[in-house]
Amino acid sequence: MAQAITDKDGVKRYLITLNVNGDVHTVLVKGNAILTNVLRDQLDLTGTKKGCELGDCGSCTVLLDGKPVDSCLVLAVEADGRRITTIEGVAENGRLDAIQQSMINHAAVQCGYCTPGMVLSAKALLTRNPHPSEQEVREAISGNLCRCTGYVHIVEAVLATAQGRVTPDDH
Amino acid sequence: MSDNHSVIGRSVPRIDGPEKVSGAAKYTGDLKFPNMLYGKILTSPHAHARILSIDTSEAERLPGVKAVITHKDVPTLKYGLSPARWDESIFCSDKVRFVGDKVAAVACLDEDTCYKALKLIKVEYEVLPAALDFLHAMDEGQPQVHEEYARNINTEIHQEFGDVAKALAEAHHVRTDTFVGQRTYQSPIEPHSAISMWDAEKLTIYSSTQSPHYFQHYIAREFDMPMGDVRIIKPYLGGGFGGKLEPTGLEFAGAVLAKLTGRPVRTFYDRAEMFAHNRGRHAQYMEITTGVDKNGKILAAKANFLMDGGAYTSLGIASAYYAGALLPLTYEFDNYQFDMFRVYTNLPACGAQRGHGAPQPKYAFESHLDNVAADLGIDPMDIRIINARRPNTVTPNDFRVNSCKIKECLERVRVMSDWDEKKKNLPLGRGIGVATGSFVTGAGYPIYRTDLPHAAAFIKVCEDGTAATLYTGSVDIGQGSDTVLCQMAAEAMGYRYEQMKIVAADTEITPLDFGAYASRQTYMSGAAVKQAGEEVKRQILEMASVMLGLPADDLDCDDGKIFSKSRNGKSLSFEEVARKHFVLRGPLLGRGSYTPPKLGGSFKGAAVGTSPAYSFGAQVGEVAIDEETGEITVVGIWDVHDCGKVINPRLLHGQVHGALYMGMGEAVWEEVLFDDKGRIKNAELANYRLLTALDMPPITSEVVDSYEPSGPWGVKEVGEGATNPTLGMFSNAIFDAMGVRVNSLPLSYEKVWRALKEKREREEDAGRERDAKRGAGAPRETDAATQPVYATPS
Amino acid sequence: MYVPDFEYHAPETVAEACAILAELGDRATVLAGGTDVLHKMKVGKLAPEHLVSLKHLDELREIREEPGRVVIGALTSHNQIYTSQLLQRRYLSLPMAAHTMASNQICNLGTVGGNIVNGVPSADLPPILIALDASIRLVSAKGERTMPLEDFFWGSAQTRMEPGEILTEISIPDQQTTGSTYLKFGLRRSGALAVAAAAVSVRVSGDTLHGVRIVLASAAPTVLRVAEAERSLIGRRIDDELLAQASRPRDSIRGSADYRRNLVAVLTKRALKKAIDEGHA
Repeated sequence: MAQAITDKDGVKRYLITLNVNGDVHTVLVKGNAILTNVLRDQLDLTGTKKGCELGDCGSCTVLLDGKPVDSCLVLAVEADGRRITTIEGVAENGRLDAIQQSMINHAAVQCGYCTPGMVLSAKALLTRNPHPSEQEVREAISGNLCRCTGYVHIVEAVLATAQGRVTPDDH
Repeated sequence: MSDNHSVIGRSVPRIDGPEKVSGAAKYTGDLKFPNMLYGKILTSPHAHARILSIDTSEAERLPGVKAVITHKDVPTLKYGLSPARWDESIFCSDKVRFVGDKVAAVACLDEDTCYKALKLIKVEYEVLPAALDFLHAMDEGQPQVHEEYARNINTEIHQEFGDVAKALAEAHHVRTDTFVGQRTYQSPIEPHSAISMWDAEKLTIYSSTQSPHYFQHYIAREFDMPMGDVRIIKPYLGGGFGGKLEPTGLEFAGAVLAKLTGRPVRTFYDRAEMFAHNRGRHAQYMEITTGVDKNGKILAAKANFLMDGGAYTSLGIASAYYAGALLPLTYEFDNYQFDMFRVYTNLPACGAQRGHGAPQPKYAFESHLDNVAADLGIDPMDIRIINARRPNTVTPNDFRVNSCKIKECLERVRVMSDWDEKKKNLPLGRGIGVATGSFVTGAGYPIYRTDLPHAAAFIKVCEDGTAATLYTGSVDIGQGSDTVLCQMAAEAMGYRYEQMKIVAADTEITPLDFGAYASRQTYMSGAAVKQAGEEVKRQILEMASVMLGLPADDLDCDDGKIFSKSRNGKSLSFEEVARKHFVLRGPLLGRGSYTPPKLGGSFKGAAVGTSPAYSFGAQVGEVAIDEETGEITVVGIWDVHDCGKVINPRLLHGQVHGALYMGMGEAVWEEVLFDDKGRIKNAELANYRLLTALDMPPITSEVVDSYEPSGPWGVKEVGEGATNPTLGMFSNAIFDAMGVRVNSLPLSYEKVWRALKEKREREEDAGRERDAKRGAGAPRETDAATQPVYATPS
Repeated sequence: MYVPDFEYHAPETVAEACAILAELGDRATVLAGGTDVLHKMKVGKLAPEHLVSLKHLDELREIREEPGRVVIGALTSHNQIYTSQLLQRRYLSLPMAAHTMASNQICNLGTVGGNIVNGVPSADLPPILIALDASIRLVSAKGERTMPLEDFFWGSAQTRMEPGEILTEISIPDQQTTGSTYLKFGLRRSGALAVAAAAVSVRVSGDTLHGVRIVLASAAPTVLRVAEAERSLIGRRIDDELLAQASRPRDSIRGSADYRRNLVAVLTKRALKKAIDEGHA
């Protein structure tokens, strides 16, 4: 159980450890702190977005021990000691991952607000299933709502990446 | 015309792509400022109520609360987006008019404290009866939403062109159909957010805005400040679709909170608050009458509409005019009558949503046209081709159409979708439907009366020419305007896209642009950008002419190289010429601006719907209906568009996909639902059903080769035009699959199931056998409720 | 959004969890995957003084075969059920039902225990579990008990959970069923609550239906086993008329519009056909 500290007004906070993108952070959080807010406000990792805060839109998607979850439904204290990957952890040393490059080249990004969550869902899919069918791609991203693209180019981008391409077929 | 362009016409990657895919892109809600506070607005729980008292004392005492404001603390000047109707207040003082109306606001150290503080504000209401049904809002004895507007009439329109009565009397076949649309909401994935801060007398607001200019204009007006002292900055923006076009309580209240506390204040809406703020699509009740000749050629049309405006006007006056204005675009007829009432109700205010007032009327018209086609035994594709507008024509309501390839769009989509084969052979339960659409390429007139240009741009080439920065007031809301305008700037200069930089949407830095609405930016902002680029190129060629000792008109610049057109030989790089220019002549700058020509007729409301150019498109959809459950599976969608010259093909098709995605959602799956107290039942994304990746069918999108002579490089719009046909297309595809029509949106599974059930019961009652197949041209069964009216020949 | 304050507990063992719950009584809410509890807290439907997190109770995350039954730990996530090779081999209908639950993200967080204990009539796992004759084990400081899952639900979204109890595991007994399936009707293809759903299991021999269980979801205030319809089908020859008859609901479905009634009938008929033809699918 994480160490708890109570201040003079009786407010309890917990000292938790979050491994975010390979960096270990020790943060002080209240019990009711939501993981999305801790990532955005305390760690300044604003790539994870808030769209609905109720687990319906997927723009807050992070990988928790490699699995995509809606961080808006996860208490920070529940993530204590666990490995979190946010969108900021996808590129390596500033080099975009294939899925990111593919999404740019396929024009799978419009307003970009769903993009971080979409990239993480797609990356997690390709990690566990390097050769997904179109149906499997759609299933994997069905929890990421996009209002701009109709998902057409997004699905193309993910399938292309799975085929080892980052540029469209018609290029 | 030549099509050897170096930059435009290529699917270059988005200029903001890397920022967005890496999470580096900062949206308004991502921004943090030193000493920043958080602000939230207290809203009304009642649809209609008098405010008796507001007690903020307990909220003020809560630790962490830095300011609490009500109507006493803010300017009382009424505002709104439509100058003809300023009917909103920052905070309600006498009464609240919808569940979600603004009552007070707090600024606190953190978000949590804001929610707690709001709960401590005590408001005493006297609940009043509410007008919740727009179909009855004008009836005698209905609660009045605004005392000044009798019978809750917000906008009343009566227009007639040609001689409708005569044309109908002479028609071979006259028919009337009635349809009802539903309220939908843009629901961009990024919630509204604003950060306000003061520096002495200067106000800066970062906002999730589609138009920094309109925000600047209306906020300066509200606070009685010179516009130059109001700075509006748009960071990255996560979707607007028309809902972020006007300043909201977040900006107005946020600015006051920031002034009172002397600290930056970030105000924001959560998803439920977004639904309440709304400014989404108006529900419309639509009666369409046409008279056609024996070939199905439309001789006259009448549109008699009623639209639900909600509690305030927003951009609704324009919406009301657009509802009728765009109907005569895709089909040519000379006699047209349009009557409309936009009414107030005690529900969230409606405004402009992708397609702005036009998609539901188009749904009605396209559905009606298929009914007419069925009455006459004409194929729906053929009846549209017969009526398709030709280029270089004028609509009955005085819109001049230059380029128009609607006929080619229809012919191409017919082939692409395998229309004829499917029309003959699809079994019952499978159907195919077609609809056309059209939209303005920018509005001919601005939202408020002004003689300022609609767009302006400048380009600064850096001192060594290795980069050029485009400064534009235009707004990338996801549609890709930053990218497309950089392409246009590079093309105009003869420069390379990859070296372009852009600064956009900051009223202190970038020149005037009206922003992202009415699909105006590629054309209008693009025209200004092209002019600016050409000015740079002129200076480059002049400088190069000196450097090369050749006449400037013998030189050209392309892909960053200056060369002689007539002789091979030395060429210069843009960089070296630009640098030389800076050394000898100072900064290398280009300026441009755009003002549309005077457009339109002189009748009341003539301005709305005017545009320098119109896009056209045709969509076909194939559906499969599960008769036992009513579930609709979309088998495929084909879209062919006439949008003039395409600057970036991939981005363009992305816009088509997105536009028809929204139309598709509104056709079957989306509806904002209210309880009997005017509260939204589904103000969240589980029950307001945005379609997921699993719901989407294969989509094939093409454009026809087209060129709009009035636009830069021949461009037209696409962002809203591709929503225009979708509702009608679904209505027709489902009709084709079932043989019976659902006359209201959304065309939900349950309505489809019920229509089929009732049809089955009617058939069983009549003892008729049902055809399993249909031959081409065989008479369709028409729904008993929509029997046509035959005109008596005179 | 606002999440009310609470006292947070994260016991290390089941026994410790039960002790805390025994002490706190109804001042405590158990936190499993969080997809229901956090959601309710954010929309103002729940404001517990204490949250007791089960996150450390790893022994409740196993799926294992034991003599006579398959045991699923209550903290198993929907996706763990979906990807379980054991369950896919033995009762594919259950992984498929877990897959229809919700989005991938929710399925990684939500647990089968939470889905059961939440008690809503639209829950996706109870119907198929009941069709497979599942029983559950409830543990408290006072001891433990098991009951058929079918008996766990009653009345309007109520369960027979006693204060201080934790659902620890679900057992599916080895059985003679030859097929089972769960069909859900939602208003879009992902992230949709069941408007109506039907789970069935069948025991087919030759062309006769020797056993059948029909369990309906979203058709009543609670998940509903349609015993009368079952009785009328047993021992009958399998033909279209049988399936059509099964789908005429005789039990009254309270509070449903005729559309829901129709859906339930259609889904029952289709589920029976699928379970008969495809086995556990």
